[in-house]
Amino acid sequence: MSTQVHANLTPEQVREISGDLEEPEWMLETRLEALEALEELDMPDVIRTPGRNWTNLHGLDFESLVDPLNAAEEKDQVGPDDVDVLPWAEAIDEHEDLVREHFGSIVDPQENYLTALSTALFSTGTVIYVPEGVDAEDVTIRTEMHSRSLFNYTLVVTEDSSSVTILERQSTGTELDEEQYYSGIVEIAAGENSYVQYGSLQNLSEDSYCFSAKRGETDTYATINWIEGNIGTKLTKTETSTLLSGDSSETQIVGAFFGHDDQHFDIDAKVWHRAEHTTADLVTRGVTDDTARSVYEGVQDVGKDAWDTSSYQRENTLMLSDESEADASPKLIINNHDTEASHSATVGQIDAEDLLYMTSRGVSPRLARNMLVEGFFVPVLEEVAVDELREDLEDLIQARLE
Amino acid sequence: MSSEQDHLKDTDTEARFEFKKEERSAVKSGKGLTEEVVNLISDDKDEPDWMRERRLRALRQYHAMPLPTDWPGQPDLTELDIEEIVPYIRPDVDKREGVDDWDELPDDIKDTFEQLGIPEAERKALSGVGAQYESEVVYQNMQEQWEEKGVIFMNMDQAVKEHPEIVKEHFMTTCVPPSDNKFAALHGAVWSGGSFVYVPEDVTVEMPVQAYFRMNSEGMGQFEHTLIVAEPGSEVHYIEGCSAPKYGKHNLHSGGVEVFVKEGAHVQYSTVQNWSKNTYNLNTKRAIVEADGTMEWVSGSMGSKATMLYPCSILKGRGATDTHITIAFAGEGQNIDTGAKVYHNAPDTKSTIESKSISKDGGRTNYRGLVHIADGAENSSTAVECDALMFDNESTSDTMPYMEIEESKVDVAHEATVGKIGDEDIFYLQSRGLDDDDAKKMIVAGFIEPITEELPIEYAVELNRLIELEMEGSLG
Repeated sequence: MSTQVHANLTPEQVREISGDLEEPEWMLETRLEALEALEELDMPDVIRTPGRNWTNLHGLDFESLVDPLNAAEEKDQVGPDDVDVLPWAEAIDEHEDLVREHFGSIVDPQENYLTALSTALFSTGTVIYVPEGVDAEDVTIRTEMHSRSLFNYTLVVTEDSSSVTILERQSTGTELDEEQYYSGIVEIAAGENSYVQYGSLQNLSEDSYCFSAKRGETDTYATINWIEGNIGTKLTKTETSTLLSGDSSETQIVGAFFGHDDQHFDIDAKVWHRAEHTTADLVTRGVTDDTARSVYEGVQDVGKDAWDTSSYQRENTLMLSDESEADASPKLIINNHDTEASHSATVGQIDAEDLLYMTSRGVSPRLARNMLVEGFFVPVLEEVAVDELREDLEDLIQARLE
Repeated sequence: MSSEQDHLKDTDTEARFEFKKEERSAVKSGKGLTEEVVNLISDDKDEPDWMRERRLRALRQYHAMPLPTDWPGQPDLTELDIEEIVPYIRPDVDKREGVDDWDELPDDIKDTFEQLGIPEAERKALSGVGAQYESEVVYQNMQEQWEEKGVIFMNMDQAVKEHPEIVKEHFMTTCVPPSDNKFAALHGAVWSGGSFVYVPEDVTVEMPVQAYFRMNSEGMGQFEHTLIVAEPGSEVHYIEGCSAPKYGKHNLHSGGVEVFVKEGAHVQYSTVQNWSKNTYNLNTKRAIVEADGTMEWVSGSMGSKATMLYPCSILKGRGATDTHITIAFAGEGQNIDTGAKVYHNAPDTKSTIESKSISKDGGRTNYRGLVHIADGAENSSTAVECDALMFDNESTSDTMPYMEIEESKVDVAHEATVGKIGDEDIFYLQSRGLDDDDAKKMIVAGFIEPITEELPIEYAVELNRLIELEMEGSLG
């Protein structure tokens, strides 16, 4: 049962969006089915303990947030010559079979209300296709949002023994008087022995809401590494996950977030071990200040046939203010005993002794605090293999501390 | 014969707990949960009106509340038909409050508890013993030296009559109100038997007091209530043991435990439960801990078809401390869903949770925990450690901790590991001449040592033996 029935969305609007992108009939059908399903679908799962939803998505007024026909953005989508980095309409034109094979195969369009809304309404997107054996660095997608709502769709397909590094950034270009909503879905199909690094940096205005689902599936020997940076928005609900379905495939999810004022981050990192000899490493560090709130859910799910699994998860939250809140639930679900798995989570404040040590050396308390916060992020930043993204993230953390 | 019944027969491990006696009942309620049944219980106990009122109110709450159905990965309760459970059986013994002389017990009941080793333990190591058979306590004894100091250890029904002021204040009011959950409401309506422990200010009871609960009848429910009040500066260790033989029909155990740890008091509550493998074990156990008080929960969960049990401490006063040590063992057909809950509601409070689980032959264990640190609970710290050991690929082990942190001046740490029993460890032990079974037993004994260390020696031996029996025969 949905609590949000979207009375002001019509099949005509969906037809118009699909027509603008010159989509084939099958894709329009997928969109229309998603639109129709809205009535039946509920919000994405959030953590619940008796008497409490840790993130209140039902409190958002999607009815007024969503303005499907007035999407406006500025977008850079560039990459090296031997890789196809295509805007959605062009991708349909050039690679319809490829899109048809993979679109909606990893993130089910009707998984929940927000994925269905995204599928029905997305008007912008990128398809990245890396042919067999090609090693590509530096595919960049910058999305600057100028409208009330923006729905974005990214599909990445890598052929055998290829590799690619993709950087995606979202920011707000035009800040409106009203609240804004950004929704992004990312699907990665990593072919045999391919290597995908996908870094994302969300720095939307603090009057906006963000929903994102980034999910990848690995073939044999493939690797998907995610970097997930969250700085902006009033409320973000984001899931980054990998389905390890090929033998000996690997994934890493590195996350960093920094919430202040009344920001709310609901951050999920999930891995599904579904083949033999797979490896996962999940590392997230975050800071909450003022009345910000973070909710972290980490899942390591080891299936019955996932022999010889290695799975590790660490999550650390630093609380700078008494009014902030940091909730965490790292979950282990183990159905194969040939598994080595561990997880750990900590929440704490800045170490008083460290602070005393630094101030006794003449560093001002404010500067000392900032240095300690920057130091706190170092173990995560070290894991960020992409220099450009690491530097951007460092800059944003520094800016927040000033 | 259904496969369920086959399965119950096949998992026979322990003749000691499995013997059955002819049912002996003076009063037996009908099945199901009605006002009539509740009134029958209340009448039979000749209870004061206030207790009858509390029961009836709890019954109304029970009917108004839903079963838990939407917890991620929760045990399957669909086969549990509460309307088929007989909630009250009073055994036909002469004295209602239980005899204090072992020899006065009817032979078959005496024989039951002797097989379970209760009188022996009492002579050797305990300050007092209560023994419950079906719905009522049939034997109750407290060593004189403690009675002289004002320590009260009696069965709960008797306490309602003899200490109404203490019971009225504490019984399912602030600690475990019936509105807490469906099984707490059920318990509030049909509770019977259990223990009442009262320790006056500054009295230390040096030897543990023990209660043992035995279910003997098919298809019955046991709903004993335990209320422990430890006045400021006092200290007591309460141990509970339980067992029931297996039957074709499901049994239900839904106990309620309330512990009041006053300022600077120290209570340890230990339980080793080995319910039969067709028992649903759905309990609510909670402690309220005042300033500088200490609550220690030690539990070993072995038997049952499904257990849902999350002992909870509310750290209410500054400097209150909680320790949880739990071990769960799930074999074939068993789902042990257990964990710990701690609410840090005051500054300088501290909790540590150590949880170990073992699953084998398709058993399913889950650690489900909640640590809540309220805004204002400055300088609180908590450390949670979960380790799961899996024997084979038919088994499942999940860890689902929840941490809600509203205060920044805290120290919160959670760690969990899962692994199979180490081939290398086994190889090493085998190369020293142990056979495969013994090597595995030894590794498990080492794995659970942190738990057994906390128990009096008799219980530690008991726990080790139970685990050995669980493992015997089906290994290697």
